[in-house]
Amino acid sequence: MVIQKREKNNVVIFDVEGEIKRSDTIDVTLHQLVKEQLDTGKKQILFNFDKVEFIDSFGVGEILASYISTHNLGGKLKLARISKKLFLIFQVTMLTKVLDIFDEEDTALQSFFKE
Amino acid sequence: MAKRRLFKLLSAVVKIKPGEERIALFLFLYFFLITAPFAIVKSIRDASYLEDLGAKSLPYAYATAILVGVAVSLHARLQARLPRRTLILSTLVFFIAGSLIFEELFATLDWEWLALVYWFWANLFVVVLTTQFWILVNDIFNPREAKRLIGFFGSGGILGGIGGGLLTGILAKSMSHRLLFLTSGFLLACVIVVQALFAWLKKKNEILEVGTLPPDQRKAGDRDVGFADCFQAVKQSHYLKLLAASVLVIGIVSTFIDWQSKTVIVAAGKANASFFGFFNSGLMVVAFLFQLILTSRFIERFGLRVGLLVYPLLLLLGSTGIALGPSLLLLAISLKGMDKALSYSIQQSSRELLYIPVMPDVKYKAKIFIDMFINRLAKSIGGGILAVLLILPIRQMHNDIVLVSIASGLFIGAWIIINLRVSRAYISEVKDKLGKKWERADGVVAGAIDLDEVKKVLDALESRKQSPELFALHLYELAKDNKLTSQIRQLLEISTQEASPSAANPLLDGDQSPRVPDFEEYLPPAEMNKEIQEILALDSYQQLMNAYAGKVLDDENASSETAKMELAKAIGWMNGRSPLAAKLDEFLYDPSPKVFQYAAESAGRLRKREYVPILALKLADPRSQEDARAALEKYGEAITGTLIDYLTDPEESLDIRKGAVSLLARIATPEAAQALLDGLAKGTNGLEEDLLDGLDLIRSKHAEMTLDPDLIFSRFDQDIQRLREPRSPADLLPLFKLLGLAYNHEDVFRAYRNFSKGTKDSIAYAVELLDNTVSQDIKQKILPLLEGFGSPKDRA
Repeated sequence: MVIQKREKNNVVIFDVEGEIKRSDTIDVTLHQLVKEQLDTGKKQILFNFDKVEFIDSFGVGEILASYISTHNLGGKLKLARISKKLFLIFQVTMLTKVLDIFDEEDTALQSFFKE
Repeated sequence: MAKRRLFKLLSAVVKIKPGEERIALFLFLYFFLITAPFAIVKSIRDASYLEDLGAKSLPYAYATAILVGVAVSLHARLQARLPRRTLILSTLVFFIAGSLIFEELFATLDWEWLALVYWFWANLFVVVLTTQFWILVNDIFNPREAKRLIGFFGSGGILGGIGGGLLTGILAKSMSHRLLFLTSGFLLACVIVVQALFAWLKKKNEILEVGTLPPDQRKAGDRDVGFADCFQAVKQSHYLKLLAASVLVIGIVSTFIDWQSKTVIVAAGKANASFFGFFNSGLMVVAFLFQLILTSRFIERFGLRVGLLVYPLLLLLGSTGIALGPSLLLLAISLKGMDKALSYSIQQSSRELLYIPVMPDVKYKAKIFIDMFINRLAKSIGGGILAVLLILPIRQMHNDIVLVSIASGLFIGAWIIINLRVSRAYISEVKDKLGKKWERADGVVAGAIDLDEVKKVLDALESRKQSPELFALHLYELAKDNKLTSQIRQLLEISTQEASPSAANPLLDGDQSPRVPDFEEYLPPAEMNKEIQEILALDSYQQLMNAYAGKVLDDENASSETAKMELAKAIGWMNGRSPLAAKLDEFLYDPSPKVFQYAAESAGRLRKREYVPILALKLADPRSQEDARAALEKYGEAITGTLIDYLTDPEESLDIRKGAVSLLARIATPEAAQALLDGLAKGTNGLEEDLLDGLDLIRSKHAEMTLDPDLIFSRFDQDIQRLREPRSPADLLPLFKLLGLAYNHEDVFRAYRNFSKGTKDSIAYAVELLDNTVSQDIKQKILPLLEGFGSPKDRA
């Protein structure tokens, strides 16, 4: 898994590429990266999953942990361009009721400022 | 007027129903007029044979019975070709002519072997005329009618025997062979009675056996019936083979007894026609009294099984007696008398009853083979065995009579065993007449349709309009259970207006029409299930959704109903100890029936104890009771005690108690059944019908479960009292359900199904099955109620 960070309109965007699964050994988890940003005062986070090929429950756990941490500090975490499979899983697990999910990055970025 | 007087007269001695008096009288006269000449014919047969050829030649006489096979074959062909009336009348004319011919031969021909020829003709006389009579009785009556009336018209035969015997006794000394004129006279009178009988049957449109149909209307297989066909008919039926075996053994034993008694009578110097006439008459008096007063009542009271055992057991006693006193004339006469008296009364009646459930086209072939051929063959075999016994070296050490008694004892033992099997097989034959077994509708539906699947599909269809999440939850559930077939997918993809716009949404096509994804596209259902379960178990997930659930529960807007439904459904897939699962009871208390539906479903999956009281409470709410019941059913045996508490609490609402009854019936453990039975026995107000239905359901699915009959019938008299005036078979259904709790459930409901058909015969066979199934004390209370019901036409 490769995670690239960028910023746009005061929103930290994490571009995740590859597979997010528990068997992968990585130095820093997605959640840790989010926490680092929160520690610096950045509270608007967007995950871009356009190039994510596979995500398991570990990966979903990371997303949720990140979401909780962000919202507990009064921030917002949103998701963009998730796969149909992930969307279906989010629907089945009711996470679509909690998470803000967008088809496109631009729409997601705009939503930060509408609120 | 005359008809009413006749009915009053006959009903004093027999359990006759209005409309039956004429047919009973005709058959009484018919039988009287053929058995009176029997007594004459047989007396002359025995006297002339013993006088001309002696007792030691009796085995030759018995052996002539084999020749009856030829006659049986001829008779069988005639029976198939000719209408009953024609056959019976022709036969009577044939024997009238035969009587006159033999009368002349005895007077003019001095030939000792004439007695042997006459012996054969006399046996033919008895066999053919008797068999024709009983075939006619089988054609006309069903088992219940026959049981009631057989004693009466059977006693006509016995009276004929008494009369014929007395006449022989009185007149034989002066006009021995002229008695055959008298025989002809009786048979001529019989012709008149038979004519009148058939005229009455025609008037009543009674449909008789195939033999009454003109040849062009009969089925092809019935036109040519020979001895071989009759033999095959018996060979193919286990029941008929048992009947044949019984008749065979009886015939052999009877032959032994006949030889023993005649040997003693000859030794005492009494072997003449007059003696035999008075002797036959005397034994017929005994037989008559037994037949008229006791036979029907005995069989109705003690059943067919006991009826079939009386004859062999008494003969065993008699045979033992004669072995101890082989030279005593009184013993010999008593043994012979007992043999014939029982044979003509209870044995004959029981045997004819055994034929009634046999299919008509098989019955007459069977009767020809068994009653005519086997009956006579038995005499031959008996004669053969006698011949062997009498030349055995062993006879030097034992008296002949004692030896034959020992042989009798062995055959009587076999006879008893056969009769026990026959009485069991009779019940199977009656059941076969009752057609297909009863099938509960709920069982038929459950066998044909997966109701659970149907419900899930309908819920999924409805959820499309409610929310994508709910729809996804349903689809996932169907996919997980491998129920998301292509047909269901097509059904669920029917377009609606309420699609939610999202290109990422796999539940929509590009044009926003609903789409059911093939879960295989993403992940095999098993793996997806694993992933989803792991997500649901995540602490982060629980924390997030718990907070979300709190907001939803606090929201009192109508729009929150859908959100509550979604959460309630999702909780069912979580671990029961998860924080979110702890919130389920709040959804269970939600006033919305839809929210409760999903919450109940989840409660049924999680099966936590704390959900039971609220689920039970909802049994009283008509909008939610089915969902509550379905959920509680999933708990199974674990909540039996709790349900029993609800059932037995008189303060509890009736609906909840009814719900508890229904659930206990579905749980169907012995403990549950006992609780329901205790409730039924106590007469729990307002629940009797539910308790009976519940127990009936248990018995229908668990036939092996036995219930205490004392408790079942503890309030039987009150139950019967309530059914005093039934207007339709459905009014008697509770009675049958009660019987089904104590006796074979399938048999009882087979009887009910036929009883509710309402025709005379279907009611008769249903009642006959119950007569052979239930205990005596119960029988006495219910049979009069059922028999008095009658067919709708009869009651009208």
